[in-house]
Amino acid sequence: MNGLNTDIPYRLMSSDERLRWWTGQWRRIIPAAVTLGLTLVLTMPVFSTGAALPQLGLLSVFVWAMFQPGLMPPWLAFLLGLVADVLLGLPLGINACLFPLTALFVQNFEARFGHHVYGFDWLMLGAVALAYAVLAWQFLHFAGNDAALWVLLLQWMTTVAAYPVVVALCASLQRRFLGSSV
Amino acid sequence: MDWPPANRRSRTTRREQNLALLSAVASGAVIAVALVLLLLSRSNPETGARLRGTAIDVAAPIWSVVRVPFDALGAGADWVGDYFAAVSRNRILQAQNAAQAHALQQQAAVLRENAQLKALLKVVEPGPRVLAVARIAGASSGGVVRSALISAGHDHGLAPGQPVRVADGLVGRTLETGNHSARVLLLTDVNSRVPVLIERTGQPALAIGNNGGLLEVRDRVGAEVPLVAGDRLITSGDGGIFAPGIPVAVVVNGKAEPPLARPFVNPLGLGLVLVETPYLPVPTTTETPHDSTPIPREAGGSRPKPMPASTSPRAVASAPSATPSSAAPAGGAVPPTPLASKAPAGKTPVTKPAQPQP
Repeated sequence: MNGLNTDIPYRLMSSDERLRWWTGQWRRIIPAAVTLGLTLVLTMPVFSTGAALPQLGLLSVFVWAMFQPGLMPPWLAFLLGLVADVLLGLPLGINACLFPLTALFVQNFEARFGHHVYGFDWLMLGAVALAYAVLAWQFLHFAGNDAALWVLLLQWMTTVAAYPVVVALCASLQRRFLGSSV
Repeated sequence: MDWPPANRRSRTTRREQNLALLSAVASGAVIAVALVLLLLSRSNPETGARLRGTAIDVAAPIWSVVRVPFDALGAGADWVGDYFAAVSRNRILQAQNAAQAHALQQQAAVLRENAQLKALLKVVEPGPRVLAVARIAGASSGGVVRSALISAGHDHGLAPGQPVRVADGLVGRTLETGNHSARVLLLTDVNSRVPVLIERTGQPALAIGNNGGLLEVRDRVGAEVPLVAGDRLITSGDGGIFAPGIPVAVVVNGKAEPPLARPFVNPLGLGLVLVETPYLPVPTTTETPHDSTPIPREAGGSRPKPMPASTSPRAVASAPSATPSSAAPAGGAVPPTPLASKAPAGKTPVTKPAQPQP
């Protein structure tokens, strides 16, 4: 048992359990840190001509909202989106609006329809990322950036293609640090 | 915490109900704040300039460190690659050298003549001043924005709206500055508009990015003269940011509508770039020219106005000022095509000396 998954009230813990509880608290920042790191990856000095890097921040928010809804609340997704906007040089408010919407949607969807097979998640991600691309396109136009839709659709394709990698990464972190059997 | 899923789904206790309500309110609030931010960035694109500066100050050093081993690997690969095909390359270079030595002699004469003529006409030309030599330390290639982070910023005298170049050509212009890093808007970004001159015909045009690998040549004066593959685009000096004569791109498809050109400089292989002062000093009271200037939008590019009367005087007027500075950085790029003889009358004496080959 790690400190996060205990159901024992703090007052009833033994000193050993309290120590484990305190030393386990850092795990709460894993989803945010992974999202931040993946957003930072997008600023790496690779100048792809024509191609677009996948929106890794969106993928991370999507996956963590599914794996750990409690650790990826919409307000945290908002802050991460703000950082993504600032780092990627986008007008403020685009990812800051779309990340919490993604987290909110995934949480409600999961709470309502429960857990399902992997392929279905992928399909759902495709729909979410497509909505992200279209909304981001509209928001960019609203903010005065004449980005073409095909660029965002290209990014949508790379995003969908990158989903298994991000899921594998997040799942391994989940098993290693956040699972109940640790 | 939530995995494996909790058994009970209904929110029974008062505490859980309150928490659910609170989180719903918080979610709505942050989305509302995000929309307000979006509205602000529409009305004032400078929103969060300080925040952006800080963010790139954080991101740029990270990649400066991370890229060190990759740079070393690349340098090693170059070093090994230099030994292959060294002989054949040496022969080609010697042949080029012989050809260029001849052209350079004539160029020197033309330069001197040009300097004399300029002295007679009392032409005043502001010279660009190098502000900083900076390393490319990051990028934003995530879809909609084509920008690079460089490792010089406000502390080095950088400000938004300064040209960034290398010896081979133009890279872009600075967009935002942090204390020791800056964001550079690359030529291929959809918001980048560079006033250029077609070197062969002397026509002014705009080179506009489309987030792909190529630039669109729009708003060309005299669009009925077709461009041919190999036409060089150089900066015209219009707009006051880019000094005239910096190589920008070479036309790869002149028949497309709009014609497409490939930038001379691919930021991928660049290590260090130069940041210069704007060509014409901008008065401090006015804002630096911004992307949303209405020129390209309204001209549209789809249906250029035929302006035969204004074409040739413009070309004649701009040709002498463009040529001397373009001669300097124009390494060994595309030679002038035979079509140069079709250029307007005022242009021919300038292009002619470069023609004869030994």
